[in-house]
Amino acid sequence: MSALLRVQDLKKHFPIGKDLFGRPTQVVHAVESVSFDVEKGRTLGIVGESGCGKSTTARLLMHLIEPDEGRISIRGKEFGNIGGRHPVAQLRRQMQMVFQDSYASLNPRLTIEDSIAFGPQIHGVSETLARQQARDLLDRVGLNPSVFIRRYPHELSGGQRQRVNIARALAIKPEIVILDEAVSALDKSVQAQVLNLLSDLKKEFELTYLFISHDLNVVQYISDDVMVMYLGQVVESGPVAQLYENPAHPYTRALLNSVPAQTPGQSKNYIVLEGDPPNPIAPPKGCRFHPRCQFAKAICAEKEPETVKVSGSHKAACFKLPGSVDHQTYIRLQEVSHEPRG
Amino acid sequence: MNPVVEVKNLNVTFKGEEGSIFAVNNVSFDLAAGETLALLGESGCGKSVTLKSLMRLHPMHKTQIEGQVLVEGQDVLKMKPKALSAMRGKTVSMVFQEPMLAFDPVFTVGDQIAESVMRHERIGYKEARQRALEMLDRVRIPSAAKRLDAYPHEMSGGMRQRAMIALALACKPRVLLADEPTTALDATVQIQVLLLLKELQRELGMSMIFVTHDVGVAIEVADRTAVMYAGRIIEQGPVQEVLSRPWHPYTQGLLGATVHPGMDRNQALPAIPGAPPQLIRRIDECAFAPRCAQASSRCLSPLPGVNTLAPRWTRCIHADVSQA
Repeated sequence: MSALLRVQDLKKHFPIGKDLFGRPTQVVHAVESVSFDVEKGRTLGIVGESGCGKSTTARLLMHLIEPDEGRISIRGKEFGNIGGRHPVAQLRRQMQMVFQDSYASLNPRLTIEDSIAFGPQIHGVSETLARQQARDLLDRVGLNPSVFIRRYPHELSGGQRQRVNIARALAIKPEIVILDEAVSALDKSVQAQVLNLLSDLKKEFELTYLFISHDLNVVQYISDDVMVMYLGQVVESGPVAQLYENPAHPYTRALLNSVPAQTPGQSKNYIVLEGDPPNPIAPPKGCRFHPRCQFAKAICAEKEPETVKVSGSHKAACFKLPGSVDHQTYIRLQEVSHEPRG
Repeated sequence: MNPVVEVKNLNVTFKGEEGSIFAVNNVSFDLAAGETLALLGESGCGKSVTLKSLMRLHPMHKTQIEGQVLVEGQDVLKMKPKALSAMRGKTVSMVFQEPMLAFDPVFTVGDQIAESVMRHERIGYKEARQRALEMLDRVRIPSAAKRLDAYPHEMSGGMRQRAMIALALACKPRVLLADEPTTALDATVQIQVLLLLKELQRELGMSMIFVTHDVGVAIEVADRTAVMYAGRIIEQGPVQEVLSRPWHPYTQGLLGATVHPGMDRNQALPAIPGAPPQLIRRIDECAFAPRCAQASSRCLSPLPGVNTLAPRWTRCIHADVSQA
């Protein structure tokens, strides 16, 4: 089956600081050759810690920031601001985004109805129809239209505002919705309501989701496939059950293991990683995870591991995997002793 | 043995231009030596306000505090300014969610730790610096000697949080108050800091009150938990019991609505309908009743008092407390 959304070799470096001649002194390696496919009707969860590039990836997809390199295509049509590609405005009719900060993403001077009806009008829908649709959508996301249409964002609670943001994203009838930490700021009891709403809407409008979150339990619940990012790269991806039950990459294993048990009385043996994720300004050479990896050997500091198949569509990038070209070299090497880093 | 902390009928009301906010309503609890209590609840439930009352950190002119907060027998709410500042950082110390805001950005981390030690223990700068170094070592900051002269912005988030723990523990407090200290941290760093806090607590034999909204974190660190809703403790008891067999419908709802591994993905989440009430009046009836499936007309009249000294209790007239 061909993919609905295909992303190939997406890359973004942010220059920071300027020297005497206006040249950047440092570069943040935010996203480094990220590729993935999403099939129609599925939910891809993207997980990783702060600075891993998951939100930047989302913004690159929407062209809220311009990618340095890479291709983004929906149903085989390539979109972008470069000549020969389909215009970004068309891309945004098919793909919409909901952000973490429900307040900052609504115009404080527009009523809820105006906010939701704004997008369709830009894309050529008549005002009357757009307003009618806004009311229908409000009703659909669980907010009584007669109560809410005249309200302003500050009059709503966080959960209600996020419902409005979801309604607004759906107003131009996209096929794909990117949810960037969309439920992370909500309290658990409200979060469950919004997660249920997202599941219902997905079925009703046949949506495809990109669900970005740092909450590993929520990602497991909502996703069909998962992609794990570390310092701008995809280290592992695959169907949710396989990846959660049988993580192949040492980082994925440590990340999944670091979630405190939700059931009392089950004491857990944590794999405790050393230190924080390193700075994406100067990412480590070789495998970017090697300074924190308990299995790292000399080759990991020199060479970047390629992505290999674990089983089926489950893939990971690590020399420990038998599929890796340098696996034999890795096996023969001595383990590197870990000294505390300064 | 006497408890280290005794809070009795604590009420905290914030006076604003548009009326009062009844943030904490008749909260009582004890804390024994070496014990960890988790105050668990969602935003606005009064857990942080309760915690800050123990050090009287609320803006004085806008806050009305009633009740008793006894720390080692002394009432914090009646302390004179001098006694209060002698207590803060020495007997009771606090770590916050955002270490960048807790540190002064223009002094080095080492000097800020040393200042606290000099202030409370009347020792010289050299000795205090030595203590700061020991503390940074103890919270496992790599190359501690070098980091003494680092400014807060030069550290990563996880390291800053460790440095704040070092600062809070420098004078070996009897009680550590922790206000969501790991919420802003990444998963792999959060677990490092949680395990570190537990270990230091054992070593120093201190008591801890841990404010969190995360059920998993509460299970990991606490001996006992008090679940808060709309400014009140609605259920209290040993963490294992409360979170595996909750009595109060809110606790049950909260646990049910929290996504955890092994949930059926094809079933809708058991969400709690509605939202918590505004605390613009003193709520004497059950504040959860409007969202509660078990609510009856009796829930809307003032709730009877409960024996808050019992090892386990709940503030619900419908709760089935037989299955303890």
